[in-house]
Amino acid sequence: MLLALREVIRAKARFALLSGAVGLLVFLIVFQQALFGGLITSFIGAVENQDAPILVFNDQARSNVEGSFLLPAQAEAISRVDGVADSRLIGQNTFTVATASAPEDAVLFGYTLGELGEPRTLRDGRLPLGPNEAVASAADADKGFDIGDTIEILGDDGPTVTIVGLGEDLRWSVAPTLFVSYETFEAAQAAVNPDATVVLPSLVAVRPADGVDIDTLTDTIDAQVDGVEALTNAEAVAQNPGVQGVSSSITIILALAFVVVILVVGFFFLILTVQKAKPLTLLRAIGSPSSYLVRNLIVQIAVVMTAGIVIGVGSALLVAAVSPTGDVPIEVEVGSVITTVVALFVLAMIGGAVSIRRVLRIDPIRATADSGRTL
Amino acid sequence: MTALVLDGVRKVYPSGDDEIVAVHTADLAVGDDEILALVGPSGSGKTTLLSIAGGLLAPTAGAVRVGSTDISGFNQKQLTGFRASSVGFVFQAVNLVPFLTARENLLVVAEMTGQPKGPARRRADQLLDELGLTHRTKNLPAQLSGGERQRVAIGRALMNEPGLVLFDEPTSALDTSLGEQVMGLIRDEVKGRGTAAVIVTHDTRMTEFADRTVSIIDGYLAA
Ligand SMILES: Nc1ncnc2c1ncn2[C@@H]1O[C@H](COP(=O)(O)OP(=O)(O)O)[C@@H](O)[C@H]1O
Ligand SMILES: [Mg+2]
Repeated sequence: MLLALREVIRAKARFALLSGAVGLLVFLIVFQQALFGGLITSFIGAVENQDAPILVFNDQARSNVEGSFLLPAQAEAISRVDGVADSRLIGQNTFTVATASAPEDAVLFGYTLGELGEPRTLRDGRLPLGPNEAVASAADADKGFDIGDTIEILGDDGPTVTIVGLGEDLRWSVAPTLFVSYETFEAAQAAVNPDATVVLPSLVAVRPADGVDIDTLTDTIDAQVDGVEALTNAEAVAQNPGVQGVSSSITIILALAFVVVILVVGFFFLILTVQKAKPLTLLRAIGSPSSYLVRNLIVQIAVVMTAGIVIGVGSALLVAAVSPTGDVPIEVEVGSVITTVVALFVLAMIGGAVSIRRVLRIDPIRATADSGRTL
Repeated sequence: MTALVLDGVRKVYPSGDDEIVAVHTADLAVGDDEILALVGPSGSGKTTLLSIAGGLLAPTAGAVRVGSTDISGFNQKQLTGFRASSVGFVFQAVNLVPFLTARENLLVVAEMTGQPKGPARRRADQLLDELGLTHRTKNLPAQLSGGERQRVAIGRALMNEPGLVLFDEPTSALDTSLGEQVMGLIRDEVKGRGTAAVIVTHDTRMTEFADRTVSIIDGYLAA
């Protein structure tokens, strides 16, 4: 690829500028995806990182944990569905709590200790072993939710819990989140709602029997129990109303960035192709197949995209590595980076299509024109 | 044997409702190692005739044979392959790729048709040596003088070992002494290879380098 690579070498500044521009766009795309990933995790980490493969919601809740409650009869019916190996109650609510520093809103997830609904990402300390113990998300350790800190749930005779462990990515709705025993959750509910006679669970956590497919089991539960909607863990995450809202706006932003990549690459190579129309015509006239010129154009696009992607992904990783682990963590996911890179290559080729078309349409006879004296 | 035969070649360009006859029924034969000068004033049809002989332009009527190949019925793809393998061109205006060095301008001829690199390099170096460009091989066209650029163009035209080389006003951008120098080189290179050449010029002083001169006026050939 003499032609393609020599031109890049002889016009370094131009190609470096384009690669830099592509790099900037790639950085924006990858970094936004990483921020988005972190934001999503802060929204739904508590559900994503608990160990129940299936969560059953009230079917009126539209996948919203806050809007879901189940009656004892429903919980009982779920436990008797064929293929359910185990089912446990999960209680969830937001409470005002007193930390060492200030009152704050915190989310409680109550589960049966040692059973379904337990956090899977414990990093320091241990899981709760009895009532009034809690695991918190490591992201909130600095805010009065570190191991050894005590938290009082405000209300009428609210329970006080001590943090005994910290886990990764256990937040819910970007708020401090505590995993406590189901009894502690019931006590907290009673404290804020002293007149209520019963405390209802928000969800039922389900583990399928060996060899039972989880997608099949969710269908079975929906069919056999009235008024419930069983979701796999992944579905519960994806269908969360908060996640869906953020998803649609980030999709628009990313789509725009991808369109800009097509336009930038497309215009650059179009200008370049128009500028070198004469030498390209010369080569066609002396017998170069169009395919040779098109191949060289594609090589140049690939060179620019590779450089841009190295610059963009490299700086995104760098920034992600040095940025402080603030409220919203930055998560660069290998899978989405690979998808992005493949998409960028395809889009760059689409942008280059206009130039390819121009090369294919060169009329070699124009090389015989005597306009101009440049050799 | 003849390197080029034009048999009743005619070229008509449409021009609005009218038409321009650029070449009137032309018959021409160029011998195997003959250098033919084609002389005529501007607009007389020289470039048109040369383009037809080189497979760049299809004649309105008539037959074109180059070596033993009749290219009259060739399609675009066949013509492209024919130009790559059988003809050398030096055009009037653009002859070099500006971002390739002198040597690379020769090498690209071999690369574009997928020929092996080793022999191509040897051939390019030999041609550049013969053309007195050994010290200029790494220079870009913009760094070369007009005469040097024209010499690189001659080398490029000879890279594919053509049986017929076509030159369109190769000295028009050069002063007389440089022009004669370049013509001398063309003659040496072409004669040294036993190749045929057609050299278009409107400068009758250059015809002394040719074996035979044919003139063309208003599209009519005259010996
Ligand atoms: N593509 C074209 N369309 C219409 N007329 C053309 C075209 N190319 C050349 N001509 C006309 O044909 C005649 C011969 O042109 P050309 O072969 O370029 O002459 P020369 O090379 O001797 O100057 C001129 O009258 C020119 O205007
Ligand atoms: Mg001409």
